Amino acid sequence: MALHKDEAIVLFKRAYGESDKIIRLFTLKSGKIAAIAKGGSKSQKRFMNTLEPFNHINVEYFEKQEKGMVRLENADIVETNCGIETSLKKACTAGFFTELVDRLTKERERHDELFQILKEVLQQVKRTELTYMEILYYHLKILETLGFMPNFTDCVYCGNKMDEEDKVYFSSQRGGILCASCSSSLPHKTYQAGVIEKVLSFRKQGREIEDPKTYRFFEREVQDIMEGFMSYHLDVEFKSYRLLKNFVLK
Amino acid sequence: MYYPGPIERLIENLTKLPGIGRKTATRLTFFLLNSKGFYISELSESLLDVKEKIKLCSVCFNITDVDPCVICTDPRRDRSIICVVEESSHMMVVESANPGHYKYHILHGVINPIEGIGPDDVRIKELHERIIREEIKEVIIATNPNIEGNTTAHYISEILKSLDVRITRIASGIPVGGDIVYIDPLTIKSSIDNRKNL
Repeated sequence: MALHKDEAIVLFKRAYGESDKIIRLFTLKSGKIAAIAKGGSKSQKRFMNTLEPFNHINVEYFEKQEKGMVRLENADIVETNCGIETSLKKACTAGFFTELVDRLTKERERHDELFQILKEVLQQVKRTELTYMEILYYHLKILETLGFMPNFTDCVYCGNKMDEEDKVYFSSQRGGILCASCSSSLPHKTYQAGVIEKVLSFRKQGREIEDPKTYRFFEREVQDIMEGFMSYHLDVEFKSYRLLKNFVLK
Repeated sequence: MYYPGPIERLIENLTKLPGIGRKTATRLTFFLLNSKGFYISELSESLLDVKEKIKLCSVCFNITDVDPCVICTDPRRDRSIICVVEESSHMMVVESANPGHYKYHILHGVINPIEGIGPDDVRIKELHERIIREEIKEVIIATNPNIEGNTTAHYISEILKSLDVRITRIASGIPVGGDIVYIDPLTIKSSIDNRKNL
């Protein structure tokens, strides 16, 4: 059994038995790993405060050769989750991003860029309540990093570059937009013109659309596109997103 | 090893209990086998009673055999203060430290977005209604000082803001009898932030 040292973000924790904890970590060097912290619920010395979701921690763990669940030996805090608990919106937003990373990554696939994005988004959430467009900005960034990004520039069926259209035809099944002629034969949902431009311009500039009315309108449209896309391709309901939608984005 | 059917069945059932392995279950089975008849009937009756008679108090949602529970009907308790806890077992701990002081409200969980547990899945709405109905003056939030417990505490304080009620949170800091050298930075920070005048 080899001892590994790494830094990690805690994605998930669950009590196991009388005093143990099972946690999932997104580590910098080894990607997502599942770990057992023996005495994690009781140990004042080794794990006190450290194994809480959204914490950025340094970890030491033992790994067996057959690559099962690792055994956590020690953990100490690099950056705490303090600040996230101050509002339900912050907790749901942080929960959504950790769940997104948890569900979209395979175990032991190193992903430096994704680690930095998750670290950055959790720091942002600690500081302020993100708007939907800011959430979308990081959501698309994560999808792009992992290669799940919907195609917003060309028709996903014929490959034609999209010109100025009066409507947007989005196919969740195909994972992108359709041109007018392809949309006549393929299942899709229709949205107002300009919605994709807003998303793309927001992604580049990373700032909010100024007019509140326009903002609300596009927010609903974009939300619908992303929900359709995510539910079709991942085939799972994000528990944290359900809460975020019901209590925060309503 | 071969055991007669009824013994094997009892061993199997005992191993389903937390912390009981087959070896302990076998030991317990032979203890029960050698026990006097009245003890066995007393034990089986008490097991059935737990399942049949225990329910949730309609006021505080504590586990009880009478509704409302003895704590809710106790006239000596301060009727203007409610202590909010996550589970009945937490209530027992708080009660053992402050016997006969407060009334309680058991949430039966905490807000946990990662597990999909929201405010509607714990008894926060019932707490809000109760505070208005019983004209409560102070709410002590005694959820665990972790991310879920703190989020729940902040959410409760948010929804009770409009009511004329004092909302307090249990302190977190250096334990009584502890040594400051061995306390982690987060706990030290919390204890400094929540310091009090002498």
